[in-house]
Amino acid sequence: MAGMTLIVKTASRLLFPFVLVFGIYIVLHGHLTPGGGFPGGVIIVAAIVMLLLGYGAEVAKVKFSPLQASVSENIGSLILVATGLLGLFVGLNFMKNALPLGTTGNLFSAGFLIPLNIGVGIKVAAGLAVILYAMLTAFEEEEK
Amino acid sequence: MNFDYIVAMLMISFGLYCLLIKRNLIKMVIGLEILTFGIHLFLISMGYREGGIAPIVTSVNPASVVATLGVDPLPQALVLTSIVIDVCVTAMLLSLAIHAYRHYKTLDMSELRRLKG
Amino acid sequence: MIEAAPILVIIIPLMGSFLTPLISILTKRYKKDRIRDLFVVSIVIVTLLLVLHMLPTVWSGNIIVYRLGNWTPPWGICLAIDGLNIMVALIVSGIAVLVSIYSLMYMKNDTGLEKYYTLLLLILASMMGVTLTGDFFNMFVFFEIMSTAAYALVAFRRNWDSIEASIKYMVMGSLGASLFLLGISFIYSLVGSLNIADIAQKISIIGTNPLPPILILILALLMTGLSIKIAMVPFHAWMPDAYQAAPSAVVVLLAAGTTTVGVYMMLRVVYILFGVAALGAMLIVLGSVTMVVGALMALVQRDLKRLLAYSGISQVGYILLGVGFGTALGIEGGLFHLLNNAIYKALLFMCAGAIFYRVGTCNLDELGGLSKNMPITAGLFTIGALAISGVPPFNGFASKWTIYIAGIQAGKAFFSLLAIIMSVLTLAYLLKAVNAIFLGQRPKRFENVKEAPLTMLFPMMLLAVLCIVLGVLPSLGINIVSPAYNALTNQHGYIQAVLGGI
Repeated sequence: MAGMTLIVKTASRLLFPFVLVFGIYIVLHGHLTPGGGFPGGVIIVAAIVMLLLGYGAEVAKVKFSPLQASVSENIGSLILVATGLLGLFVGLNFMKNALPLGTTGNLFSAGFLIPLNIGVGIKVAAGLAVILYAMLTAFEEEEK
Repeated sequence: MNFDYIVAMLMISFGLYCLLIKRNLIKMVIGLEILTFGIHLFLISMGYREGGIAPIVTSVNPASVVATLGVDPLPQALVLTSIVIDVCVTAMLLSLAIHAYRHYKTLDMSELRRLKG
Repeated sequence: MIEAAPILVIIIPLMGSFLTPLISILTKRYKKDRIRDLFVVSIVIVTLLLVLHMLPTVWSGNIIVYRLGNWTPPWGICLAIDGLNIMVALIVSGIAVLVSIYSLMYMKNDTGLEKYYTLLLLILASMMGVTLTGDFFNMFVFFEIMSTAAYALVAFRRNWDSIEASIKYMVMGSLGASLFLLGISFIYSLVGSLNIADIAQKISIIGTNPLPPILILILALLMTGLSIKIAMVPFHAWMPDAYQAAPSAVVVLLAAGTTTVGVYMMLRVVYILFGVAALGAMLIVLGSVTMVVGALMALVQRDLKRLLAYSGISQVGYILLGVGFGTALGIEGGLFHLLNNAIYKALLFMCAGAIFYRVGTCNLDELGGLSKNMPITAGLFTIGALAISGVPPFNGFASKWTIYIAGIQAGKAFFSLLAIIMSVLTLAYLLKAVNAIFLGQRPKRFENVKEAPLTMLFPMMLLAVLCIVLGVLPSLGINIVSPAYNALTNQHGYIQAVLGGI
């Protein structure tokens, strides 16, 4: 699909880094503030979609192809399941906290919540990107 | 006079009406969405406590204050999970609507009737 | 016994479904696609072996309780496995092994196969999750995953009929799941807990005789949501379209997998959660209406898969009728019929798939005289047709005879008579199908049709052997069913095992 006007292109290029950093902030601080994996992943994919709509699907496919999105989606879910299995290997039950707990209120505390949030954030962002690519290219085939 | 429950029930009935009466496929998807949002609103307002605060433990509110004054965080976790499921179902329904438009050239639900018997 | 076996049964197919796209990228580059198919089959066989491993412990009377994350219930999620769970898990994993072997050859001509195998492993993991869990909201989440994977599998071939059938299935299924969620939210507001054993304890304190109005509302919402899933009349409208348009390997998984899991959820809600055996009258009426409508609609069909779909609706009516009688013989007959229904429905749909694979059509008006070309398929289809009608010495006779005797013993002889008449109608329309497909004039263009390939015949022969063995020695079936019956009527033991072992 073709891109949009010059105003949309400039604005999306200016806003992209701020939205991306804000999304990563929400993912990483999931155990201290409201948010966590899923809302953070949606904000990250909103930043990517802004570029997609402003510049067109052809340019976006060169930068972040659907194959890369599919592979990173599976890696995100494997991080999630592997963190759960870590508890199984240490000897306790599944999804038992096996990483060190710090003091409450620090960034690096609460054991296994950080890998879980990162895994969910990557999976949600990549999954929604795959869905959006599929819907956009469906219209392209129809126009041909 | 509990406003939350009345609005939630109104949303559920509007969503159900829209799902049953409208004939365009996109409008049926919107009706299903409104129905699900009404159920989520009902579930969250189940955990409300009069004069409550947000259930987050910070340095200003230690754990004992949150335990006695905070609203119930369990329905919020349930609704978060349900919103994720709803996103997946909506994405699938819209993809199927794109495919149906390509085969039938219309989105009218009363035309999607070629399988009979 | 492996300590972590209950959770590994769910996690191994789930990890398999995440690894399959990565493996498929590698195999596509080196052009060895068979490795991916064999990887999927091996994961499903490992799941079946883990379920078989847990069988002796559960059948000796223990209830296995596995706590996730070492959190004690009711503040944590637990998996609770008793006799009823393990029977449904055995049926589902067995059918999944046979379907994955069958689809090695059946889906050979389709493209996009890595998505098919990912969805197959995902629907297996979610069916195991619904069956083994002891937490109500966990059951709802896995139920939704199973439904979404089923919608995607029905629309797999992207023809016009697959898209239309999947849209109808999807709209009705989402409405049912939303009503189920509304029922869960009412239960949470009433008792403040989401663990099945905890809810059962608190509801029995509130009292179920007579049912207060709030519990009637909750029961109505939950039963409506589940009836849409198992296609009870009057919510059955999506099933014939979905079974006609989906690929046959998928239809076997839907008919023998998701229907069995849906009936299990209904039994768990009615018997363990509410502990009310006085709901039998409702189940008898709904079951007999389903039985009659299914059999009568199947008489006028001209398409083979639609005919088998309506007969599947009719068989679910038999199961509910048997369970609704309330006596020990009735409940055991109903559960035995659940086991048999999975076996002969899978056999009949696999034979229909073999015919479609070789000939290309399933319309009864266009087929004819195929018994000279496909003798083994004809014999297996006839075995399945005789088994489903309740002809001795097959397994359908054993379970249907139990239901008839239970009806007469419970004083409701009218329903037994209705069931016998519907069995005669079942025999009538299935013999009509056998006559139209295999006997009679063979059209000219079917001269060179060959027999179905061996990897498709092997699961069908295994199922036919099971039909004969369970019919000649019904005591084997009773060995599987009577722990389930003991678990269904033992609500107190279930609560004690999950909550008392702190």
